[in-house]
Amino acid sequence: MAVVAAAAGWLLRLRAAGAEGHWRRFRGVGLARGFLHPSATVEDAAQRRQVAHFTFQPDPEPREYGQTQKMNLFQSVTSALDNSLAKDPTAVIFGEDVAFGGVFRCTVGLRDKYGKDRVFNTPLCEQGIVGFGIGIAVTGATAIAEIQFADYIFPAFDQIVNEAAKYRYRSGDLFNCGSLTIRSPWGCVGHGALYHSQSPEAFFAHCPGIKVVIPRSPFQAKGLLLSCIEDKNPCIFFEPKILYRAAAEQVPIEPYNIPLSQAEVIQEGSDVTLVAWGTQVHVIREVASMAKEKLGVSCEVIDLRTIIPWDVDTVCKSVIKTGRLLISHEAPLTGGFASEISSTVQEECFLNLEAPISRVCGYDTPFPHIFEPFYIPDKWKCYDALRKMINY
Amino acid sequence: MTLSRRAATEAWRLLGHLKETLGHPRRASWAVRSRRCRQCLYFMRKMLAAVSRVLSGASQKPASRVLVASRNFANDATFEIKKCDLHRLEEGPPVTTVLTREDGLKYYRMMQTVRRMELKADQLYKQKIIRGFCHLCDGQEACCVGLEAGINPTDHLITAYRAHGFTFTRGLSVREILAELTGRKGGCAKGKGGSMHMYAKNFYGGNGIVGAQGQIFEAYNMAALWKLPCIFICENNRYGMGTSVERAAASTDYYKRGDFIPGLRVDGMDILCVREATRFAAAYCRSGKGPILMELQTYRYHGHSMSDPGVSYRTREEIQEVRSKSDPIMLLKDRMVNSNLASVEELKEIDVEVRKEIEDAAQFATADPEPPLEELGYHIYSSDPPFEVRGANQWIKFKSVS
Repeated sequence: MAVVAAAAGWLLRLRAAGAEGHWRRFRGVGLARGFLHPSATVEDAAQRRQVAHFTFQPDPEPREYGQTQKMNLFQSVTSALDNSLAKDPTAVIFGEDVAFGGVFRCTVGLRDKYGKDRVFNTPLCEQGIVGFGIGIAVTGATAIAEIQFADYIFPAFDQIVNEAAKYRYRSGDLFNCGSLTIRSPWGCVGHGALYHSQSPEAFFAHCPGIKVVIPRSPFQAKGLLLSCIEDKNPCIFFEPKILYRAAAEQVPIEPYNIPLSQAEVIQEGSDVTLVAWGTQVHVIREVASMAKEKLGVSCEVIDLRTIIPWDVDTVCKSVIKTGRLLISHEAPLTGGFASEISSTVQEECFLNLEAPISRVCGYDTPFPHIFEPFYIPDKWKCYDALRKMINY
Repeated sequence: MTLSRRAATEAWRLLGHLKETLGHPRRASWAVRSRRCRQCLYFMRKMLAAVSRVLSGASQKPASRVLVASRNFANDATFEIKKCDLHRLEEGPPVTTVLTREDGLKYYRMMQTVRRMELKADQLYKQKIIRGFCHLCDGQEACCVGLEAGINPTDHLITAYRAHGFTFTRGLSVREILAELTGRKGGCAKGKGGSMHMYAKNFYGGNGIVGAQGQIFEAYNMAALWKLPCIFICENNRYGMGTSVERAAASTDYYKRGDFIPGLRVDGMDILCVREATRFAAAYCRSGKGPILMELQTYRYHGHSMSDPGVSYRTREEIQEVRSKSDPIMLLKDRMVNSNLASVEELKEIDVEVRKEIEDAAQFATADPEPPLEELGYHIYSSDPPFEVRGANQWIKFKSVS
């Protein structure tokens, strides 16, 4: 069966050299099999699709913040927003469809609790949403804007980059829109395709004046979101949408803060440093345990948490200790944030490096629909890259 | 003081009598022959000079002011103004308005200051003391001064890049504005913003916004949906950079382009028309009826910016025609002089004072030191403790404080 499949695959490649030359780039046994025997592989494909590319690993229950409750990611976001609206009388939440609770249920119950002039819908205009948010923030009120998907943040790109980020600088600190926070679902979700799966953090990393924050779990999300709302700079908070239901852990009910611009070393190690953020942290955690089991390699796992301004010290200290660095993210390779980390680390720790810095990222293509399982940097690709680094 | 004033009034009346006498052809010849008349004249001149010296010493008023203050001016006058075109409005601003002498002088001074300031900025730019972008608003003074006259200082204003006039009317001094243009410490944004980014209390700039054609419709929608008390103003100076409005807009009736938002078209070269329209629009918004749109038909004498000569897309004749027929300062001056609200000398005197103020400000703007290099990194974030800003190479970092 496999021999037939392999032969067929070879034939396929030859045929593809003609009109459909682009198929050659996506070499893989699975693809050939799927093409030749669609019925046989539909169940496999369906089964493969239902299994996510990661396994969520909850953190231990935090004891220092009081009573906790089991919450998933969207519930922890609701809890954070609830705390904010209760504490700050000027806080308002707005965006598309937030009034009934939001398409991901992040704002359920808030309109009933706080009133319709604090939680309200906007028309379908991302540029208008962010522009309006900037205006509110400049007057001093706390504005929490929601962009329904991170893929739709691009109409608001001008407002964020040209207005929000530069307001304090260009007015010599006379005015600022620091009390603006923009929340947006982010990252791949298994079936999102081009416009519901993007990770645009790299576009905003290039813009001094804003902060970009991505949590990996409900506990992190609540603390980081509260810090973003209270931070006196405009912040963008990306929420990994695949974790909205999949990630559940014990989260404190009372408000608490997790400091921004601080990376967290989740697991100490001595041989190689793995850096990621958002959903990918769980992928590399699994890679770390695979490496320990199969190669006897001790990995240090770092969750970057804040994309800009990022915690250079933690990452560099770790690389000085281990000598090897692997960075992984879903966004395309070229110009992705891994390139910035890689470049800075080689500047700061050149003589400490034992192997070239490895980046395991998405392909340089638009986020595909049917090819998503092939596109995302899953644990096997990361493991492969790690092995090559160890054997360098 | 009273004595001197009485003496001055006497002197003035006698002079008037003499003027009459000398004006009459037959009497004049007698008057000149009459030595007594000539003596009177000499005595009067000397007395007036002495009186004026005393007065100027006492109250620091210039010489001519003495005469002027004693002349009877009207306290106010009623003027007719052009009717505004309306869109979705039953009635518009009134067609007559009352201008008091005090207000008239204030508006004149403000418009003249804006005009002189813009011309000084032009001069400094050509001397390369001001660099970068400079969008001048001479010709559009009636818009900024008239607008300010129609609103309260507690209202909020935001505009685009042609902002120097508005920055002044919103309360900043000419010194701060010119220093900001030259990029010095004494500027209103500490020299870091430049021409397009000037801020003051209740004035949010100054924005380098260009090409917001789509954004404005989103703003109209939100403002109308939530009945926000917002006046949208279009200063229609007939050209968008180098493109005339006929070539750029499918509909040049900008006051109608709010569609569901009511609008009015106002003569933007007549300060009283702008003031009345603004009062009307402000009252409309304050009553909770929602947003309103105002199109001010105005004109700019300079090009779009300093790098645009302004004559490649329009003729010099056109500019001259507007300057001679509808210059806003000239219109106000004519109105005030013709209705005896002020005299030509008084207004000339204001010109002189304004010129001096601008000269001082330009002097300050040229001589003030530039902000120190450390400020390159300041105010990017609100940060405590200050963090390091990376840059051109690994070994130079700036501290960012806020």
